Amino acid sequence: MELYELNLHDAISGLKDKKFSASELFASCKARIDALEPNVRAFITRTDSTPQPCENPEGLLAGIPTVLKDNLCTTGIRTTAASKILGGWRPPYDATAWKYLRESGAILMGKVNMDEFAMGNTCGNSAFGPTHNPNDISRVPGGSSGGSAAAVSAGYVPFSLGSDTGGSIRQPASFCGVYGLKPTYGMVSRYGLISYGSSLDQIGPFARTVRDLQLVMSVLAQYDPMDSSCFREKNPDFTHREDVSLKGKRVALVKEFQSFTLDAPIAEAMKKTRKVLEDEGAIITEVSLPVVAKYAVACYYALAMSEAHTNLERYDGVRLGYTVTDAAGVKEMFEEVRSYGFGSEVKSRIIAGTCLTEPSRCDEYYVAATKVRTLIAQEFARAFGETDFILQPVTPSLPHKIGEEDDDAMKGYETDLYTLPVNLAGLPGLSFFTGYALGQPSLTPPNLGGEQGGNPSAQRGLPVGLQLIGPRWSDPELLNAGVILERNLGTPKIANGGID
Amino acid sequence: MAELTFTPVIGIEIHIRLKTDTKIFCSCSTNPESEPNTNICPVCMGLPGSLPRLNHTVVEKGMLAGLALNCTVQPKSLFFRKSYFYPDLPKGYQISQCDLPVVANGYIEVHDAEGNLKKIRVNHLHLEEDAAAMHHSASDGRLEGASTSYVDYNRAGMPLGEIVSEPDISSSAEAVEYAMNLQRRVRYAGASDADLDKGMMRFDANVSLKCSDGRWGRKVEVKNMNSFRALERAIEFEIKRQKKILLSGGEILQETRHWNDAKGITSPSRVKEFYRKFIVEPDLPPLMVNQEWIDKVTAMMPEMPDVRANRYVNDWGLPREVAEVLTDDKALADYFEACVKAGANPVRAAHWVRTEVLRVMNERGQKIADFAMKPEVLAGLVVRVDEGKLSTTQGKEVFDYMVANDASIDDAVKALGITEGGVAGNALNDIITSVIAANPDVLEEIRSGRDKKGKKLKFLQGLVMKETKGQAKPQEVAEAIAEAVK
Repeated sequence: MELYELNLHDAISGLKDKKFSASELFASCKARIDALEPNVRAFITRTDSTPQPCENPEGLLAGIPTVLKDNLCTTGIRTTAASKILGGWRPPYDATAWKYLRESGAILMGKVNMDEFAMGNTCGNSAFGPTHNPNDISRVPGGSSGGSAAAVSAGYVPFSLGSDTGGSIRQPASFCGVYGLKPTYGMVSRYGLISYGSSLDQIGPFARTVRDLQLVMSVLAQYDPMDSSCFREKNPDFTHREDVSLKGKRVALVKEFQSFTLDAPIAEAMKKTRKVLEDEGAIITEVSLPVVAKYAVACYYALAMSEAHTNLERYDGVRLGYTVTDAAGVKEMFEEVRSYGFGSEVKSRIIAGTCLTEPSRCDEYYVAATKVRTLIAQEFARAFGETDFILQPVTPSLPHKIGEEDDDAMKGYETDLYTLPVNLAGLPGLSFFTGYALGQPSLTPPNLGGEQGGNPSAQRGLPVGLQLIGPRWSDPELLNAGVILERNLGTPKIANGGID
Repeated sequence: MAELTFTPVIGIEIHIRLKTDTKIFCSCSTNPESEPNTNICPVCMGLPGSLPRLNHTVVEKGMLAGLALNCTVQPKSLFFRKSYFYPDLPKGYQISQCDLPVVANGYIEVHDAEGNLKKIRVNHLHLEEDAAAMHHSASDGRLEGASTSYVDYNRAGMPLGEIVSEPDISSSAEAVEYAMNLQRRVRYAGASDADLDKGMMRFDANVSLKCSDGRWGRKVEVKNMNSFRALERAIEFEIKRQKKILLSGGEILQETRHWNDAKGITSPSRVKEFYRKFIVEPDLPPLMVNQEWIDKVTAMMPEMPDVRANRYVNDWGLPREVAEVLTDDKALADYFEACVKAGANPVRAAHWVRTEVLRVMNERGQKIADFAMKPEVLAGLVVRVDEGKLSTTQGKEVFDYMVANDASIDDAVKALGITEGGVAGNALNDIITSVIAANPDVLEEIRSGRDKKGKKLKFLQGLVMKETKGQAKPQEVAEAIAEAVK
């Protein structure tokens, strides 16, 4: 067994027991990255030419390699949000989430790919080109945190950080076959996270076991005065326990979602998971979320784009990032910088956000959306009076091929229906692994050349993930449930990134 | 046909710099003397990923300013993003409370044309951040035509309160009184230094005219007034300009005009009004102010100048005019009251502060805070004059000596050779004896009865007064000399 294959918990124990050294672990991960990166292309910026110094040899994460989504600010290290507009900007400060990891001894291997400004669900809207799904490199890893999911799935690092505004952690986690937690809004400081939709954005971890998510959350979930939306009623306890139980817990399916079509492997995973839950003593029930089903997508995009277009107003070429020096005037400078600097998806969302908040339409769209959002939060709060968790898909379909659905943006938006209501209500959502989709016709191995006999991962089938949602601040309980699900459904394997 | 008359309808927006050590959304210094671009951080530079955090002292200062304008504190207020593109705006939007402010519904009183008190309603005061300061190389100091522009982000994120009046103002005189009264009150409350020279107070005026034939001209916003005089002149100009248009049957354009102080005119803003839209600032939770906090800030509120002046008039019998001069500046009024507290008679103390203290301050260009003489010391001097230990003239001499030499009363009295209580009795008789002895011919003249008009007696009195350095009572001197020459 190679060291890169170790999950976070085992890597920490191995280092502590001196079974191997931090530099051996680093070298193993680096070699793994070197081998797979030509296929996977998860990185925007690598920082692993030499090991970064460990800041806290006694810390929980001492010597553990990790990667960050490239919308998390890192002092002196290029941070791009996968956009041309940031140029070679090197932030003068660290995102609080990274600061906490660094202070716990984590080692940064690099900054990884994403959809530009986190806008997208394929990791294909990046100025640095697409990242490939390590389980099948012809397919998308999901997005926007596709690089973070792919890096953990491919065994680059035992854990990584991403951000989730409408599913950007949970969907790539599901596509890449790893665990991903979108914490309760306010659980993890957003300071230093380049904003997309500020009231929806939340930083969270990817890992290959639920226990590893618990370890990372125990470091991340700290109050930070630098983020006014970061607050906690109580101190969350992410201690891993084996004696947790789902006996008597209510797990609900959403009534309105039951008529929607799912890819067969996902429908199958729902059945299988339901059975596991019942066997564990949970009570399967149903909740009704009519407002969510009908309005969440429209509400989400109205709010996200309204917030996004203001968040992106600061990129004007005056203070940082890409700029021009020969513009005729200040207005022309803004136009040239923004026309060249932003990608087309970002531009379309800026235009949409501008229209949605334009004075004559603002009440009809933006203001209405803020009201619908309140209704959605209330609807969830009522539902969680009747159930402890909600079980639902992450997406209705498995990852598509790179380039396949790029033309139909609206279809991309629709696939977010299962993830984005969670952000609207500020809830925690766990994307968990349920198994590999074997023998599905849509999953025949891609044509990689006959002599390879197909990609072993593809033979294994694509990973299938589902989502468990809890009420606000229930993140520890959600992860405890995840531990039980993992025990029953199995732990994902490291994907081979197209290499035998 | 009756001649048309026009009633100006004026509303004023006043920005004041709230008095805090640090900026509104970060902990950068607000020191206006700092070198350009030294008081900056990721937050006030709007760097990607940075987040604002509200400085609670700014909220308190805003509440104090609001209370000084008779406003009510709002238990819940919000922040918005006000978008426009300009190099002075680091985030591309300004964070402002806009229409859901922390304090609202107040008023200030001014005098109308007939001299009657009139309430000008204050709609609200809202909190917001200032933009950066820009310096353009163009000769007129404006962005257009400048080959180079410089931005100083020290000013970005400075805390401002924008005070919006209702359109209750009917003349430039009322506007200026409103602005001056507002300045005095926010200074009293300790909410702002409102120093016009330092750009801590800026005015915009909305001016329209109501015509006696029922027409009501559209609202014109006039910007860029940085002094009371500019406010007055800009409004005067705008009233005249609009009147002329309406009299000729023209239409007033709803527009923003720029006051050019050098030319004394308003002209249409060359910079097109930026298209603005507001969304709720998602990075800041609603600002909740509970009763406890309101009570705490209310307890911090000092007595307002008008109330204080009334008290001086009613309780201490000060003339209205003196009371108003003393209460114009809170520090001066505090000084005066400290004198009274130290035992000085209020009317006398008021006179001393008004005449002597203010004279010295004006001569030296000082503020009361820089005035070295403690109010207790001045009170001591006032008491000695009151008790007759020093004459009024002596008192002033002593005061000047004390101020000039930073001396105590006793040292000043000694240095000036003053005998407290004056020269009388034996001391006076001794002086008279020696003066007479030195002028035997004069004595001879008086005794011989040739001094019919008493001129020689007066001459002796003069000499004696001179010898006593004016410290004897003239009546006493006259009587004593009359006795001595017998």
